[in-house]
Amino acid sequence: MYNFSVRYHDGRLSIAHDATLTLMPDHWLIHYRDPSGELTSVRWTLPGIVTDENFSHLFIFRFGEFPQQTIECKDGNLPESLKKRYPERPFFKRRVTDIFKLNNTTIAGVAFTVLMLIGLGYWFGLPWLAGAVAARFPTSAEIKMGDTMYENMIRAYEVDDQLTAKLNDFTKAIDFKTNYPIRVTVVTENDANAFALPGGNIVVFEGILRKMKTKEELAALLAHEVSHVHYRHSLRNIFRSLGGYLFLSLLLNDINGIVTILADNSNALANLTYSRELETEADTKGMDVLQSNGIRLQGFVDLFALLQSEHGDVGSLKLLSTHPLTEERLRAAEMIVRGQKGVVANRELEKYWQVIAAAEHK
Amino acid sequence: MEQHETRQVTFYGEGAKLFGIYIVNILLTLVTLGLYYPWARAALLKYLYEESEFEGSRFTFHGTGKEMFIGFIKAIGIFLGLYCILFGAVATHNMTITLIGVAVFYIGFLLLIPIAIHGALRYRTSRSSWRGIHFGYRGDRKEFLNMFIVGSLITLCTFGIYGAWFVIEIRKYIFKHLRFGSISFSYEGEGSAFFWMNLKGYMLTLITFGIYSFWWAKDLFAYYVNNIRMYQGETALPFRSTATAGGYFKLIAVNILIIILSLGLATPWAIVRAMQFVFSNIHIDGPLDVNAITQTEADYSDATGEDLADMIDIGLV
Ligand SMILES: [Zn+2]
Repeated sequence: MYNFSVRYHDGRLSIAHDATLTLMPDHWLIHYRDPSGELTSVRWTLPGIVTDENFSHLFIFRFGEFPQQTIECKDGNLPESLKKRYPERPFFKRRVTDIFKLNNTTIAGVAFTVLMLIGLGYWFGLPWLAGAVAARFPTSAEIKMGDTMYENMIRAYEVDDQLTAKLNDFTKAIDFKTNYPIRVTVVTENDANAFALPGGNIVVFEGILRKMKTKEELAALLAHEVSHVHYRHSLRNIFRSLGGYLFLSLLLNDINGIVTILADNSNALANLTYSRELETEADTKGMDVLQSNGIRLQGFVDLFALLQSEHGDVGSLKLLSTHPLTEERLRAAEMIVRGQKGVVANRELEKYWQVIAAAEHK
Repeated sequence: MEQHETRQVTFYGEGAKLFGIYIVNILLTLVTLGLYYPWARAALLKYLYEESEFEGSRFTFHGTGKEMFIGFIKAIGIFLGLYCILFGAVATHNMTITLIGVAVFYIGFLLLIPIAIHGALRYRTSRSSWRGIHFGYRGDRKEFLNMFIVGSLITLCTFGIYGAWFVIEIRKYIFKHLRFGSISFSYEGEGSAFFWMNLKGYMLTLITFGIYSFWWAKDLFAYYVNNIRMYQGETALPFRSTATAGGYFKLIAVNILIIILSLGLATPWAIVRAMQFVFSNIHIDGPLDVNAITQTEADYSDATGEDLADMIDIGLV
């Protein structure tokens, strides 16, 4: 019961000897007949024996300094006998990789579970993590970063100083319930567009101002953009996309080019879905702001109608890339308008709106 | 003595097992933010080696995650250093300093390639064995570096034409210094033949809209394999490729289908098919005494090259 047939390599010559391993109390004895027929035996003292960690069902042990002697054993009873013979000297450690010795169904099951976990991590864990990291990002650093971005970006545009001053007056007449320093810049561009940068800078294209007919539309636009700022959507978006990129490059480190391309594109797509979620959130939060300021929510409906007529849902591919379908937003806004509570007249807001309208419509 | 003695390496790996290894590697690499990577790589190599059999005995990869981790950290350090120089130079907003920084970055990168190849060969061979006999690489780093720099410069000056000769020269050098115990190797290819083969392959691939590429790939593989010689004492044993263009086509077409249809999940099965294709198409002809190979190489354990090579993404020969 303490004898096993093994293959023995002496580490000097490539010959494989069919040998017998005998487990002695304090050492292993390996004996075989060498090619000349002479009986040869080798002694392995216990402390020098190293178990080779492998994925197969072959038990491999090495002994001594480089070049090491090796024995290979196929006998499944060996681990049991080793445990009995040398209870205080464990030869086999439990390892994560031991699952590879199980059958293929088990491996497939484990693999499937792991894949599910990875998928869950990607779809739910990553956005959550992005939000958590963004939330812990210091506000002062965010404002500084946003201002640098603004300075670099604004050079590409022509700023309308007068309209900018007027629009800032208008903005100050609404309580956006945020601690960020909201600063609005109007640039001479014909597109019906606007965007927010982290830290409080909002850039409004003159084209969209010109097409607005009511102060509520402008309030709705500003409320939407301020929500982007207040809920740190830019940061969350940056962290989500960066995280996704890191995640996938770690994941696909060893896998080939085709997969990497597939993955890059699906990450971009996933990110798109995420930024649409952020847009919807900006709409909802923006409506809350109008509601609490007593401004008519109809502004949102009119704003979306304006965007729709401007871009059309077919031609709005550019807008579609980050914003939800205007049609959907329009419907959602119409639903909420019905629940509008008390509208308060805001004379200051009206006054500033008239100034802007006068400048725009000359 | 037999007239047509021939031997092969057989690959017994299974897609399912390889898949499992990949998945666990990926998960642990993710959870440890990449730090597990060297262990993942060691596990993968260990598996691929022990599923490769020659004359009834499996190969062994002796490298450990720990050794490779040290190499990994060094490699990361080298890369960080290079990037710091680059970004530092750019941050000065000074044209001259930026240009010097960029130059240092690229030259550093170029020097890293031969160093990485050399280091990876040294490490990988010393950690590979069969029946307890270790492989080894006896090339000299300085010599290899010189050869590499001169070769790269000439290749640049000749607009890539010298590249064919350069590749052959590198193969010759590497095989000349490769050992498997008392067995040595050589590579008998010639630059001009290699050049014409590539030129012909390139032209015909263009003319046939890519169809010829399978014949070209077959030729490249055959040129690589058929020029390898193995020496046991006075006996020279040639390597022989049996790969056909049709076989190549089947391998590539099916593998692409496997990968695309499974969205990449079945990549391990594709890898297994590729390994089987390569090994089943290489024959070692001639009378080899598989019991008489003696241990000759010394121990070596610096894994930096292995990881550098991995990061620059050089497929090892
Ligand atoms: Zn928006």
